[in-house]
Amino acid sequence: MTQTLSPNVADRLRAIVGHDLVITDPDRLFAYESDGLTAYRVVPRAVVLPETTEQVSQVLRTLHDEGIEVVPRGAGTGLSGGALPTPDGVIVGTARMSRILSIDAPNRLAHVQPGVINARLTEATAPYGLYYAPDPASQSTCTLGGNVAENSGGPHCLKYGVTSRYVTGLTVVMADGEVVRLGGAGLEASCGLDLVGLFVGSEGCFGIATEIEVRLLPQVESIRTLLGIFHTMEAAGHAVTDIIGSGLMPAAVEIVDNATIVAVEASVFSAGYPVDAGAALVVEFDGTEAGLDDDADRAEQCCLSAGATKVIRAKSDEERIALWKGRKKAFGAMGRIAPDLLVQDATVPRTRLPEVLARITEIGREYDLKIANVFHAGDGNLHPNILFDRQNSEELERVEKASREIMTLCVSVGGTITGEHGVGVDKRAYMPLVYNEVEMDMLRSARRVFDPDGRLNPGKVVQ
Amino acid sequence: MTLAEELQKAVPSVLTREWGQLNRGAPWQGGTPELLVSPASTEEVAQVLTWAGQEKVGVLPLGSGRHLAPVGPGSFMALDTSLLSSVDEYEPADLTITAGTGTSFDTVDAALRGNGQWAPFDPPGVGERSIGGFVSEASHSFLWTGYGALRNHVLGATLVTGDGRVLRLGGKVVKNVAGYDLLRPVVGGRGRLGVLTSVCLRAFPLPAHERVLVLKDSAITSLIEPALLVGTAPVLPASIVVVGQADMLGGSSALVLRVHGAESSVDADQSTIEKHLGMSFDIVACAEADGLLNEIQDRGGLDSRCVEVSVLPSRLPQVVAAAEQVGVARAAIDSYAGRLRMGSNDMSADAVTALRLAVEQLGGSLRVARWDGALRPEDTSRRDAELDLTKRLESIFDPSGVLWPTRP
Repeated sequence: MTQTLSPNVADRLRAIVGHDLVITDPDRLFAYESDGLTAYRVVPRAVVLPETTEQVSQVLRTLHDEGIEVVPRGAGTGLSGGALPTPDGVIVGTARMSRILSIDAPNRLAHVQPGVINARLTEATAPYGLYYAPDPASQSTCTLGGNVAENSGGPHCLKYGVTSRYVTGLTVVMADGEVVRLGGAGLEASCGLDLVGLFVGSEGCFGIATEIEVRLLPQVESIRTLLGIFHTMEAAGHAVTDIIGSGLMPAAVEIVDNATIVAVEASVFSAGYPVDAGAALVVEFDGTEAGLDDDADRAEQCCLSAGATKVIRAKSDEERIALWKGRKKAFGAMGRIAPDLLVQDATVPRTRLPEVLARITEIGREYDLKIANVFHAGDGNLHPNILFDRQNSEELERVEKASREIMTLCVSVGGTITGEHGVGVDKRAYMPLVYNEVEMDMLRSARRVFDPDGRLNPGKVVQ
Repeated sequence: MTLAEELQKAVPSVLTREWGQLNRGAPWQGGTPELLVSPASTEEVAQVLTWAGQEKVGVLPLGSGRHLAPVGPGSFMALDTSLLSSVDEYEPADLTITAGTGTSFDTVDAALRGNGQWAPFDPPGVGERSIGGFVSEASHSFLWTGYGALRNHVLGATLVTGDGRVLRLGGKVVKNVAGYDLLRPVVGGRGRLGVLTSVCLRAFPLPAHERVLVLKDSAITSLIEPALLVGTAPVLPASIVVVGQADMLGGSSALVLRVHGAESSVDADQSTIEKHLGMSFDIVACAEADGLLNEIQDRGGLDSRCVEVSVLPSRLPQVVAAAEQVGVARAAIDSYAGRLRMGSNDMSADAVTALRLAVEQLGGSLRVARWDGALRPEDTSRRDAELDLTKRLESIFDPSGVLWPTRP
């Protein structure tokens, strides 16, 4: 049962951020009851929307003094319940902290507030011939602050790496309101532990990043995109192994299965993928114009040797966007099939993909659940999407059991329970699959280093 | 009872030796350990550290021992990882390799190259480094431009904490966000959080072709601007380094680029870069390229005194000007990363201190990587709040404070 915030505390918060930026109206609070994982819902006591580091500091100090829990929130696009409110907690949202503070083109750096939308940073840096590499599927809506909290990935992190590779410095407000500066470009030679790397991916449990310094990359000269159509997932999997094994370094390698193709083609996002295909494989190369056709030729040959029935190569930007459409719109298209979707996220060694996918199909059959697979095949990052109706409690129970089996399977082959979505509340129960009690204790200790009282995002990651 | 006898009583199976029995093939900088202990497994490392934690005996983790930061005076034992020497798991199709931390980088590299792969890192003396020391130091690699920092490519590790707890950190997959990333502060942590016993690294396909390009000039200072300009070209080489007075180039200074890719793309990249700069590069013949690259890789890093500087790339010209007294004429400078390494056998502490102050005023930092004298200059230290967090973090990994007891 959610407690209401005392008028005294609400007034103090309003004095810091302004009257309209503290939400206590129950009707408006419902908008914050979940993030992208809608299976869990809790209405917060209040939502506070500061605009500056100083305001975040004062808000956190006030809440700390009152012993009130804090749940940080970016755009709320996370898929693991990392921004799920607690009944006793107040959400501190970064939506109003959406300024790009500076772009330092000569040093290929940008300083941003955490509420800056991922894709907006790339748009803003394009005139300088630069871009921000991590590209989560939600990049048109997710924020850099959320990306830092979750150490977000994306299709192109096969070649370019995940968020932690690009964050060079942070201004962080700790649970008690203290403002701390971590790292910074130019300070790499100083003899310190990598606290920035530790903070990235801490899921809002260590502090709130209020300024983020990120590294930018030069825009690529050219791109080649191929779509391979296969009768079976296994054949597509072999093509991936051959492509990577041949020494090629694609920027992205993505697969969608038949269930996903059927969903996409029946939706407004139809991309022209054949509905009788067992799998579709998107392979993309980027870099110097001169070498790209050679790379694309070799990848095409790998696809054909592995049994591709057709390989299509984009000849223009429009065609490239069309080839990607079936992959990028997969999650949206699944809304047609079932009212609810559990987007799972796990990583396995790439060579274990075929056996893991076969077993996931069996698990779906055993629990009578529809599972559609969309995944970053190049780095073994699976997204088995379980389609269900949360009003059906018996089906929800089967979803939870199937999820656990899939996670257990992935860990048993040398993988892990989350590749890019984070633990949040969704994966917390699976953490003992990965860590023993000594290791879990160390995670708890690390959390206490940053937040001794455990008031920042309680109940997430580890308890 | 001697320290060796006490340890043998607590951990009878572990090999202990006199310090002088370790043949490192390099001068030792600093205090001498009382004892050399060489565990043969993670379990033995855990037993030794459990004992050390209980008895409050200082422990200096040791890889090859050739590239350690200077060790201060005091009473401690050295924990040698040379018996943890094996490639435990290598799956070429997954581009991952797991090895014991006493394994030499050369051994790992040979296994990878046998399958057309490599680990693209080139800190000084990399081949002879142990994998544990290599990861614990995480020294800057001049291949950073093309491949990024080592810390992004260490996928997993087994770490024994200062009180003997065994932690498996990370895993064997490239994407992994299960729990807080405790591996990150361990990489480059210089053994302060524990003793690494195994490490899983990401491997990369060997480039189909490598071309080494040079632009010579008599003075290193004249090459900084062209080097910065290369960093703005539409294509990026794998490495952009300015090296001063290179022996392999007859004593000339040079801007040296490593261009990787298919042969056709290497041609095109060279042409694009030359057009961007309005200058022509010479191609270094294959027979001479290895020698030049080895000279650059080791430049300064094997001298008895060596400092490393990091700064925003745009401020490199000012740092180079300020570094004249520290031997910048023979430096190696990664202009894309803003990293500079200088070494000599007679660098003065006063000159290094002056350079550190100048670098800090420019928003950069300086680290003394090697120093054989008593009057060791200070490194750039972190801010107070960061230092406080660092100490708290160290205390959960090493509650008795036994690791690196004499570090500067």
